[in-house]
Amino acid sequence: MSKLLEIKDLHASIGGKEILKGVNLVINEGEVHAIMGPNGAGKSTLSAVLTGNPAYEVTSGEVYLKGQDLLSMPAEVRARAGVFLSFQYPVEIPGVSMTNFMRAAINAKRDYEGKEPISPKEFLSLMREKKKLLELPDKLNNRSVNEGFSGGEKKKNEIFQMAMLEPCLAILDETDSGLDIDALRIVAEGVNKLKTPQNASIVITHYQRLLDYIVPDFVHVLADGKIVKTGDKSLALELEEHGYENI
Amino acid sequence: MRISKGEIFERVFVNEEVNLQIDQEAGSHVKIHVINASFSITVNQLGEGCITEIYGLENLHGDESVTAETHVTHAVGGGTSNQLVKFVLADNSRGSFIGDLKIAPDAQQTEAHQTNRNLLLSDTAEMRTRPQLEIYADDVKATHGASTGQLDESALFYMQQRGIDKQKARQLLVNAFMKEVVETISDEKIKSDVLLLFEEEAF
Repeated sequence: MSKLLEIKDLHASIGGKEILKGVNLVINEGEVHAIMGPNGAGKSTLSAVLTGNPAYEVTSGEVYLKGQDLLSMPAEVRARAGVFLSFQYPVEIPGVSMTNFMRAAINAKRDYEGKEPISPKEFLSLMREKKKLLELPDKLNNRSVNEGFSGGEKKKNEIFQMAMLEPCLAILDETDSGLDIDALRIVAEGVNKLKTPQNASIVITHYQRLLDYIVPDFVHVLADGKIVKTGDKSLALELEEHGYENI
Repeated sequence: MRISKGEIFERVFVNEEVNLQIDQEAGSHVKIHVINASFSITVNQLGEGCITEIYGLENLHGDESVTAETHVTHAVGGGTSNQLVKFVLADNSRGSFIGDLKIAPDAQQTEAHQTNRNLLLSDTAEMRTRPQLEIYADDVKATHGASTGQLDESALFYMQQRGIDKQKARQLLVNAFMKEVVETISDEKIKSDVLLLFEEEAF
């Protein structure tokens, strides 16, 4: 099992306020890591920093993706290298169709890998195949990105994009929030089908519920900007029962 | 010029300054697009049931400066008018929109819309907008809106997170912004020529 992601003593702030205060984490290929923790612990900051969101400033620490210095890469290069974020709040982009958006994303990745742009035929059949996985409607192609989508559709659309792009590291930020039980099942099944021995995921969640479907190998508790406890999936059940107060 | 009863007058001007004064007779239809040029268009609806559509789309770079001016008067009722003017301003470009909409006391059951939306792509670009509405009839439906903003940073980051570089992401957002106007061109050939014109331009 080789090392996919290594986070060393990561500190980050927003607007001068320190949110991450020394995060250490190693993720190997094939693993699923859950990150739980109270509101304001820094869970979303961690996903923002790993993906290169310009609103956050890394003040110290190192992050390596397959041995490469992740923090020195621009956001789009991190994505092409295989870091994917399923956004907690997917952004609506009026006027940009899912087709144009997805084609630009796929071709950016292929270009990075030294491949030719995808052919229109191949692209459409890939879209069709992956839509089926998430039980998304055919009309999706012509709709503007996330515009007018229900909460459940937006989250399905995130996992659909993940299926299209086949990242090596997927970060699911509160993917379960706002989902009814059927949408949750479809989303979780989608994530599980995309699991391979070579990729890994970080599942950020408040609730144990999602982890009934996406079973983690490790559960970490993030509190006040640090990982304060690590365990197996039973830790999630324990947290559900007793809360974060005793940690 | 005078557009006679029931006549349709439709033109798309690209890179060509436009100065027009139009009187519309009953039931006539005027539809004008101006792309990438200054214009001053005055339309008077003198007969009942006229339709007036004025669309402007200005994609400005460098030191370009463009003024878009519309004067639409509903002298009699039962007519509709729609004005949609959009500016995209890069570099040190300057844009200005002056839009007058007048609905006379007798022009009941008029439907009139005026929209001006502007996108600033640099800190040094400048947009002035002056919409002016004078509505003297009470049984009318009139809307107007003017706004000037920048590209949505969260949308840019969302696209970058999918591997799309910032330049391409900006281009997709700007094209989306302009598409609303281009889509209203009736002639498919001209529409695709205009789309092509914008695709070749860098943002």
